[in-house]
Amino acid sequence: MAALFVFYTLDPAEQPLFPRCPFLLATGYECPGCGSQRAIHSLLHLEFKSAFRHNGMVLLAIPYVLLGVYLQYFGGSKRNPRLEKKFFGRWSALAVLLGILIFWIGRNLI
Amino acid sequence: MNRYFYIDAEGNQKGTFTALELKQESVKRDTLVWTQGMEQWKRAEEVDELRYLFSGTYQEAPSYPAQPVQSPGGQASYAPGIDEKEQRPMPKTWLVESILVTILPFMLCGSFLSLLGIIGIVYAAQVESFYNRGDYVAAAESSRSAGKWTRIAMWIAIGWVLLFVIGMILIFGIIGWAGFSEMGNMIEM
Repeated sequence: MAALFVFYTLDPAEQPLFPRCPFLLATGYECPGCGSQRAIHSLLHLEFKSAFRHNGMVLLAIPYVLLGVYLQYFGGSKRNPRLEKKFFGRWSALAVLLGILIFWIGRNLI
Repeated sequence: MNRYFYIDAEGNQKGTFTALELKQESVKRDTLVWTQGMEQWKRAEEVDELRYLFSGTYQEAPSYPAQPVQSPGGQASYAPGIDEKEQRPMPKTWLVESILVTILPFMLCGSFLSLLGIIGIVYAAQVESFYNRGDYVAAAESSRSAGKWTRIAMWIAIGWVLLFVIGMILIFGIIGWAGFSEMGNMIEM
């Protein structure tokens, strides 16, 4: 809650307090997560377009993470075992990793 | 007192033993046992009378292939077939946790932490492969490794977040203090 409030009131693009990506600092290339804090800030202000610009993957990752939390910690995998198999099976793990890799390379090329 | 048959690590049927005598035998939690009145072979830990054997430590039994076992009592019939998959639940795969612990650090600028999560995912994926192949020992081994790496990643991530929370509070404090003293200076001028 407190984190959401901080992300809502402060703009990570302007404030120097937010964590910086060590990978970006070290290499000058963006990591797959760069921009996600700005994207969350935009999302909280319902600015989907700018959220997508900052980090498009966050828009996918947030529902995915919420689904995972539901499955794991709120009894979801007992109620919907098929859902877990589909989205958190072995092949989906591979797909997620590949997706991150492609996004990573892609965002630094474009 | 009930007399039990059990199936040893080589898949041979042994018996009979009383529950007390079984203590001398190498009966593990997942050793299959049978006694008069039971419909099926059961894991030893599922039999109330044998549960006392495992009140101490957990021991991993080596895997053995399922085979039809001659029914005790000299009858020609066969004991109920042993369905290994039903007998042994799949060990925890850790897939959901390891995927989460891989994705979340990206949002917290801790991309390097994801490497630990990926190790977790690799082990987690092996659990099901080994299990489906029937290699239960390897599956349990992978499950343990997956759990270990996932937990390592999780704790480092928590530490990482705490570090930033503390950092933010400190910086806020300094800015607040600096702003306050600046105002003081301006008033003085």
